[in-house]
Amino acid sequence: MSDAQLRTPFPERAHSALNDAHLQEALTIATTKFIGLRKEAFAGYPDGEALRDRARAIKESTLQGLDTHLERLADNIERLGGHVHWAATGDEARDIILRLCRDRGVRMAVKSKSMATEEIELNEALEAAGVKPVETDLGEYIIQLAHEKPSHIIAPAIHKTKGQVADLFSKELGGRFEADPEVLTAVARKELRQKFLEADMGITGANFAVAETGTIVLVTNEGNGRMVTSLPRIHVAVMGMEKVIPTMTDLMVFLAILARSATGQKLSSYTTLVRGPRQPGEVEGPEELHLILMDNGRTRQIAGTLREALYCLRCGACLNVCPVYRQIGGHAYGYTYPGPIGILLTAMLKGTGSVKDLAHASSLCGACKDVCPVRIDIPRMLIELREHIDRERVAPWAERMVFGLARRAMASPSLFRLGAKIGRVAQVPFVRDGRLRGLPLLFGKWTRTRDLPPVAARSFSERWKELERP
Amino acid sequence: MTTRAEFLGSIKREMAKTRGLFDARPVPRPPHAGEAFEAVKRQMAERWPQALERFREEFERIAGVFHRVGSMDEVPGVIRRIAEERQARSVLSWHPAPLGLDLRESLGREGFAVTVAPHGAPDVAARQLHRDEAARAEIGVTGVNWALAETGTLVLVSGQGRPRSTSLLPATHVAVFDRSCLLESLEQVGIVLEALHADPARSMSGAVINFITGPSRTADIELTLTRGVHGPKEVHAIFVEGR
Repeated sequence: MSDAQLRTPFPERAHSALNDAHLQEALTIATTKFIGLRKEAFAGYPDGEALRDRARAIKESTLQGLDTHLERLADNIERLGGHVHWAATGDEARDIILRLCRDRGVRMAVKSKSMATEEIELNEALEAAGVKPVETDLGEYIIQLAHEKPSHIIAPAIHKTKGQVADLFSKELGGRFEADPEVLTAVARKELRQKFLEADMGITGANFAVAETGTIVLVTNEGNGRMVTSLPRIHVAVMGMEKVIPTMTDLMVFLAILARSATGQKLSSYTTLVRGPRQPGEVEGPEELHLILMDNGRTRQIAGTLREALYCLRCGACLNVCPVYRQIGGHAYGYTYPGPIGILLTAMLKGTGSVKDLAHASSLCGACKDVCPVRIDIPRMLIELREHIDRERVAPWAERMVFGLARRAMASPSLFRLGAKIGRVAQVPFVRDGRLRGLPLLFGKWTRTRDLPPVAARSFSERWKELERP
Repeated sequence: MTTRAEFLGSIKREMAKTRGLFDARPVPRPPHAGEAFEAVKRQMAERWPQALERFREEFERIAGVFHRVGSMDEVPGVIRRIAEERQARSVLSWHPAPLGLDLRESLGREGFAVTVAPHGAPDVAARQLHRDEAARAEIGVTGVNWALAETGTLVLVSGQGRPRSTSLLPATHVAVFDRSCLLESLEQVGIVLEALHADPARSMSGAVINFITGPSRTADIELTLTRGVHGPKEVHAIFVEGR
């Protein structure tokens, strides 16, 4: 997201999303469909629940030995002829790729969908360095042509209609294309096939990396991940360090639940296990393989309140069920990772200051935790994040003052009673049809979109006392 | 530039602050991968007919086209029909050594443009030639390492004479397999992969293992399912009964 967009405060971004009728419709259709597909997939899979527990246990146990697993992964990648780079920050990860491009005369890089490269805003950096990045996942390709950002982790262009895509293709690629997904997909196939064959470098993320075998694992449906890792002479994979898993046995557990959670498929069309560059005797495959292991704020949370967010598989299931995401969509969040998990990941990568509004963009209903394949307790961490934001004085002073007063009143019975008495009198001008509406000043924003029950004429303790009387 | 030692050092420092966490157990894995692999093979020698049925069911559910023939001799006939129906003339196949079939001798003599992947250590020119042929081919014919019943998945390991793009670049992929390929579950696949890793003699030479579950697909435009976005539009699996 550009700085200009981020300077718009979150409430305004959310508000304009709410006023976008087309976006509202697209979001409802997409998230409802994903919810249904996921539900069906797990309903027909009795082993699913136990596998989710196992997957969670693998993530935790891997995190407890993260340094060992990363060392083993690096050793095995190198043994197979690959190169491993260690990037403490996103800047460093970008610089490593730019240096590779420079040293090897790379002019065009084809990319398969990768949240990690979105996280480090790689495309902008490549363009500035004179390297043409081409997104090859159809959804990513569309939004790249439109100069936009993904609005959903696994369906980046759900906010666009086929009519908009047809206009976009007609304008950018030259020609007149019918607003038919079949036609538009064929156009993209032809256009991108040429790019796969011409590109010097293929850039991917990694869904997993198996430490014991040195295997980088990519899960895709379109086959672009296979193209990108097979045709260009250099393959670069950018991976958040928490994606390492110990063994092939572990990998099978994750594969069994990942696609089911994301799209309701038993497996995605392609699961690609890459061990090293082209091996002797092979006619195809890249000459060079580079794995960039990226920290970028993750280490800070190993012992932090957001530790569990390091389990995330990036399946997108929590986005679909979130009542807030379903209303505002991905762009309104303003950062790379949207949705409930996105708030936590943004706090992890960009610091808690960046989510002082977003931390409240959740009803804490718990639907995200219910569908998370590794049962990440997102609501708990959101509450801790809110507490942290308050304690560190990141929240606006007025909000902190109101909550400070509320805490005092709640902690003291006499103050509480006094407050209730004052409230009973003060609320009179604002009660209409038995509800509190249109509060003044600071509280006006609260009642702009919702009303409140008024303070009751008699308090619970008063009524209790009457009941106690014989 | 962050070094490996610095990177891992900062992780260790943070990990030291987390002592007292509950003890998470990793997933139990087969203690002797080789033995577990042999056990899977024995199970499947008996249970392959059920696995084949399940494979067919799942494969068709994801839009795969299933064929069954008595022997290897009948395979070219099936491929010919597939090609004719699609008005395709160019066929690229894995090398006859790993495939167990030389299509040049059958389809090649019937007017189809058949090319086979090189075997041995290909030089730069051979690699470029193969790439051009793969990019042009309309039908790609491969073998299969394992066919996974639970999900209708074909598992292909790349290697000498077994290029990874034969199942990717042509618009139609035809895979030939027999009963020895059949596995029931992802768990069994895990055992097989563990065993391959544990025993270098069994290990495959190639760099890539692909799990192929149906044709290439996308739903990125208005969630409309569309096939053949980058990879094949169609996947056919030919089961050969006899050895």
